[in-house]
Amino acid sequence: MSAINNKCEYISKNQIKITFDGKTYSAFEGDTIASALLRNNIRLVGRSFKYHRPRGIYTCGIEEPNALVQIISEHNEPNTRATIKRIYDGMEITSQNRWPSLRYDFGAINNILSPIFSAGFYYKTFMGPKGFWKNLYEPLIRRSAGLGKPPKNFRSKSTHQYHNSDIVIIGAGLSGLAAAKKFINTKYKVLLIEQDSYLGGVLKNSNKVKTINGLTPQEWISETEELILNSKNITILKNTLVTTYNFTNHLIALEDKFAGKKIDLNKSELTLHKIRTSNTIITNGHIERFISFRNNDLPGVMLASSFEKYIHRYGVVPEKEPVIFTNNSSSLSLLKKLISLGCKPKAYVDSRKKDNIETEIKKILKDKEIPFFSDAEIEGCDGNKKVETITIRQGKSFNKLKSSMLCVSGGYNPDIHLFTQSKGLVKWDKNILSFKPDTPFQKTITLGSTSGNYNFKKLCDEINEKLSIFKTKKVSLDINLNVPNKFSIKELWETKKKNNSNWSKSFIDLHNDVTTKDLKQAITEGFDRIEHLKRYTTNSMGTDQGKISSINSLAIVSKILKKEISEVGTTTYRPPYAPLSFAAIAGRSTYEFYDPERKTSIHSWHLKNNAVFEDVGQWKRPWYFKASENETMHQAVQRESKMLRENAGILDGSTLGKIEIKGRDALEFMNLMYTNAFSKMKPMTSRYAMMLGEDGMIKDDGIICKISDQHFIATTTSSGAPKVLADMEEYLQTEWPHLQVYLNSITEQFSTFNISGPKTREIMMKVFPDIDFSNDAFPFMTFKNFDYKETKIRIMRASFTGELGYEIYIPPKFGLELWEEIFSCGKEFNLIPYGTETMHLLRAEKGYIVIGQETDGTVTPIDLNYNWMIGKNKKDFIGKRSLSRPDTSREDRKQLVGLSPINKKDIIEEGQHIVELNELPKKIKNPIKYLGHVSSGYHSPNLNHSIGLAMIRGGKNLLGQKFFVTATGKTKNIPVEIVNPVFIDPENKRLTS
Amino acid sequence: MILIKCPYCGERDQSEFANGGEAHVIRPKNPESLSDKDWGEYVFYRNNPKGIFYERWVHSHGCKKWFNAIRNTSTDQILKVYKVSEKRPDLSEFKNTLKSPSGEPPVGSGNFSVKK
Repeated sequence: MSAINNKCEYISKNQIKITFDGKTYSAFEGDTIASALLRNNIRLVGRSFKYHRPRGIYTCGIEEPNALVQIISEHNEPNTRATIKRIYDGMEITSQNRWPSLRYDFGAINNILSPIFSAGFYYKTFMGPKGFWKNLYEPLIRRSAGLGKPPKNFRSKSTHQYHNSDIVIIGAGLSGLAAAKKFINTKYKVLLIEQDSYLGGVLKNSNKVKTINGLTPQEWISETEELILNSKNITILKNTLVTTYNFTNHLIALEDKFAGKKIDLNKSELTLHKIRTSNTIITNGHIERFISFRNNDLPGVMLASSFEKYIHRYGVVPEKEPVIFTNNSSSLSLLKKLISLGCKPKAYVDSRKKDNIETEIKKILKDKEIPFFSDAEIEGCDGNKKVETITIRQGKSFNKLKSSMLCVSGGYNPDIHLFTQSKGLVKWDKNILSFKPDTPFQKTITLGSTSGNYNFKKLCDEINEKLSIFKTKKVSLDINLNVPNKFSIKELWETKKKNNSNWSKSFIDLHNDVTTKDLKQAITEGFDRIEHLKRYTTNSMGTDQGKISSINSLAIVSKILKKEISEVGTTTYRPPYAPLSFAAIAGRSTYEFYDPERKTSIHSWHLKNNAVFEDVGQWKRPWYFKASENETMHQAVQRESKMLRENAGILDGSTLGKIEIKGRDALEFMNLMYTNAFSKMKPMTSRYAMMLGEDGMIKDDGIICKISDQHFIATTTSSGAPKVLADMEEYLQTEWPHLQVYLNSITEQFSTFNISGPKTREIMMKVFPDIDFSNDAFPFMTFKNFDYKETKIRIMRASFTGELGYEIYIPPKFGLELWEEIFSCGKEFNLIPYGTETMHLLRAEKGYIVIGQETDGTVTPIDLNYNWMIGKNKKDFIGKRSLSRPDTSREDRKQLVGLSPINKKDIIEEGQHIVELNELPKKIKNPIKYLGHVSSGYHSPNLNHSIGLAMIRGGKNLLGQKFFVTATGKTKNIPVEIVNPVFIDPENKRLTS
Repeated sequence: MILIKCPYCGERDQSEFANGGEAHVIRPKNPESLSDKDWGEYVFYRNNPKGIFYERWVHSHGCKKWFNAIRNTSTDQILKVYKVSEKRPDLSEFKNTLKSPSGEPPVGSGNFSVKK
C-alpha cells in the first residue's frame, strides 16, 4: 500500500517541508495538508470526538468531518480542515484529541465503554449527586471530549470590507463561470466568489468533461478567466468562502489573505466581506455523501469523488488498488482514470442490479478482469487503525478481500446550505434522491448541480433560461463528455451488519461520533421529530454540519418512522456554512478599539496623583487616590471621607451628563419630562429633579438649572446621559411635536468640578477673589456666570456630600489650569482630591440615593420618601398617572430606610438580605421570610461604625424596629436598627451654612 | 441584517437603527381621567403579531429621527416606511398573503416538514 505521485498542472514542482506531530515530511507547493499527508502515506491523522477512534482523511474539501488538525505555526489555530488548508514551507501541524500520542491514545477506552455513551448520554448519566457536575463530571468531560486546544496569546488581525453589487455569483465552477460569462461587459456590477485559489471547480475534480466549445476544460477556464478579468464590471474574489446568506440579499464572505503562505503578523490575515446585492446566483455545486456500514470510519475509507479529486488536483493517487463501492453511475470516471494510470481496483461493488449498470462500466471491468459485484454491498471493513480487510455481501454470500482503501459513493447532494439560509424552500427529487432548491424566498437563482441538474448537456439551456431576466446575450456551451450523460442511482443508506461487536460501529455522523444505532435508540425513546432528534443525538451538529451525512440520516429516520423523506423534512440550515474565526468577525474592534475610552480634561493630573480608575459607562473616573504605595482602597476612602468633612475635597465631575434645553416651549417640556414643578422656579436657580418612566419608576436624576423659561440645563447621571437625551428626543418627536424645543448634548463642552467641605468658601474666595460667596449673595441651589481669564465659567452652589459645596463649569480647554489653580490655593486648607468611592460613601451618610444602586427600575419617588419632588399640582408629567396605580400605592412596597448596627463593630454588607431571624438554619428547608435588601453599605469614618441604606417592605413604618442582616459565609445574622436614612446633618445646617 | 429606508436619509443598514415597538399607540391626553385598567393597557400592553405589524423605528446612529414602518414579522420584509406625521396606512393595502420563510403555519412555530 502506497501512494503514487502523478503529474498535475495545479501543483508546483517546488518541494517544501512541513512537520506533522514532530516529524518532517516533504510535499509540494500547492498541496493541502491532506494531500501532503497522503503523498507521504499518512492515513491516520486524528482521533474522534467521543470514542477516540482512529480517523483518517475522508474527503477532499470543506465537507471534511475527520481530518481536523492544529496549526502550531499560526497562533496554535485549532480544528483546521486538513483538506482545504494549503501548506507552506515550515508549517507546523499536530493532530488533535489524543493522549499521549496519536497511535496510542488512552481515550480510546471510551470506544469499549461505548454502550454507556449512546444517545442522550450526557443528559442521562450526569444527574447527581449534587456538586458532582461542577467538581467532577464537567472537568472530566472537558478534558476527554472535544477537539483542538484553544489558541494562546492570540492576536490576529482582520479587516472588514463592504460591497454593493447587482449580482453575486457564489462559486466559480463550470456553471459559475458560464453564468459570469453572460455578464461580461454588461451594465451589471458582478462579484464572482470562489473559495479556492483557482477557478474551475468541478472541471478540475475529474475528467468527466472532455471538451467545452472545442477547448479542453483547462483551456476553457483560462480563456473565460481572461475574458472576465478584462471586463470592467466583474470582480473575482478568490480564497473567499461565502458563509452566510441573510435577509435582503446580505452575504458575508471570508477571504483568507494568506492561503498557502506563511502569515505576516504585521498584515491583516483575513478579510470579512459584507456584501449587499440585488441578485444572488448560487453555483456552489454538490457534495458527495457516504454510506453507513460497519466501521465506515476506519482510516482508508474515503469518498470516491474525493479520491478522484486527489488524483486530478494534486497528482496524488492515494492507493493503487482500492475497492470501489457505489450506488450510482458517477464512479465510472474514477474507474477510467485509475485504469489510465495503470492502477487496477481490487474490486468494483455496485448496489445497482446488473441490468441497470452502464454497459461501459461492465465492459471495462470485464476487459481488465476486475472483480465485479453487482447488486452487492459492503458489509463492513476491519483492521487495526486502518482498513485491512473488506467484506462484500452479494446475495447470501460473503467475500473477504484484502485492501487498504475503500472508495465510497452514496450519491450527490446539491449544496443547498446557502439557499436554505436565504429561506428558500427545498423539495425532494426522486431521480437524484436528494433535496433540491424549489421556491426561492429572495432574489436567488441556483444553477447546475446546486439546482439539482446533474446533466451537463442541459446546463446551457438552464443558464440561458434562468438568467433571461437580465439583459444579457445568450451563451453557448457545447460540452463533450468522457462518460455517459445520464445519472443513475439506487437508494442505499445503510448496509446490513453480519454480527455485532462493541468495537464495530456504523456511523452516521463521523464528526460527532453518532452511530445509526443512536438514531434508532433516540426514536425509540420518543425523539421522532427531526429537530429534536438532531439535538438529542448531536447528529449533524459538528463543525462540518453533517455535509456528507445529514441527508442520509433523514433517509434512515424516514425508514424507521415509515414516512416519506419529504414528510420528515430537513433540519434548519443556519449560518455559517463553515466555521469562521471570531477574529474575522471582530475585525478591528479588538482590545483598546473594542469600546472607546472617554477621559476628562483632568485625566493627566489624576494619573500623576496616583488615581485608581473606575469604569463608568465608557468614562474613566478616579475611584480613589492612593496617598502612599501601600494604602488600601478602604484606607484611602476612609481618609478621603474624613478629610473632606473636616476640611475640603474636590471631585472631577466632568463625566456627568449635561443637556441643554432651549426653545419657546422649554418650560412646558421640562414640566412634562420631570416630576418637579419648574413654573414658579426663579431664573438662575437650580433644583434636584427626577425623571420617571410611564410606569412610575425612577429612570434618572440630576440637577436642573433654569436660566429662563426658554432655557434650561439638565444634568444626568454619567452613564444615563445618552438614554435621557434619546428619551427626551423621542417624546418631542412622537408625542409632543407641537412643542418648539431644541435639545443639545453639552456633556463634553464643560469640565465640571465638585468642591465641598467646611473650608470650601475660603478656598473659593482665594481662587475667585472678585466673587462674593457669602450666603446671602450666593445661596444654596443658585448659580451665576462669571468671566474668568479669557473664558467664561458658571458656578453653582450644590452638594452631593451634604457639606457646603460648589460646582464649577468651565470649557475643558481651561479645565486643567483651573484645577491646578484650585489646588495651589487649597493647599493651606488641606484640600484633597477624592474619587467616586468616597463620593458614594459621603452621599450615603447623607442619605442621598444613587440611580442604579438604591433604584433598580422598580422604585418610585414615593418609595424613597421623595414626595416633595412630585409636582402634584401639575396636570401631567411622565409617570404621574402610574404613581396612583394599585401597585405603586401599596403599603408594603419596598421603601428606603437607613440601617445602623446594634453592635457597632458589625459590618453591614451591600446586597445582603434583611430577615427576621437572628440565625439561619443550617439546612434551609422552607423559604425564609425576606423583608428587603441592603442597597448601600459603608463603614462611616465620621460616625465610626458601619451604616447601610436598605429597601425594605413597608420600611416607612418600621423606624426604630430591630431586624437582622445576613452576612457572607455565616449563619449568624447581624442585628440592626431601622433608622432615618440621613445619618449626617439631617437639618441641612452644613449644606446651607 | 435587513435594509431599512429612513424617510429622511434613504436606505441604510439595520445596525444604524433602533426599534421602538408598536406604532400608533398614542399617549392619552388626560391620563388622570383614565381608569387603572385603561392606563395599564397603555403602559404595559402591546401587540406582537406574527405577520403585518405597524412599528416605530429611530435612525439612532444617523439623523436620530423617529419614523413608522410596516413590517411583516414572519418574513422581516418592510412593506412601507412613513413619517410620524403621516396618516396610518390602511392594512388592506397589504394583504397578509406572504408565507413565512419556513412555510410554518401563521400561528406558533416549530418543527414542520418542508412544504410549498
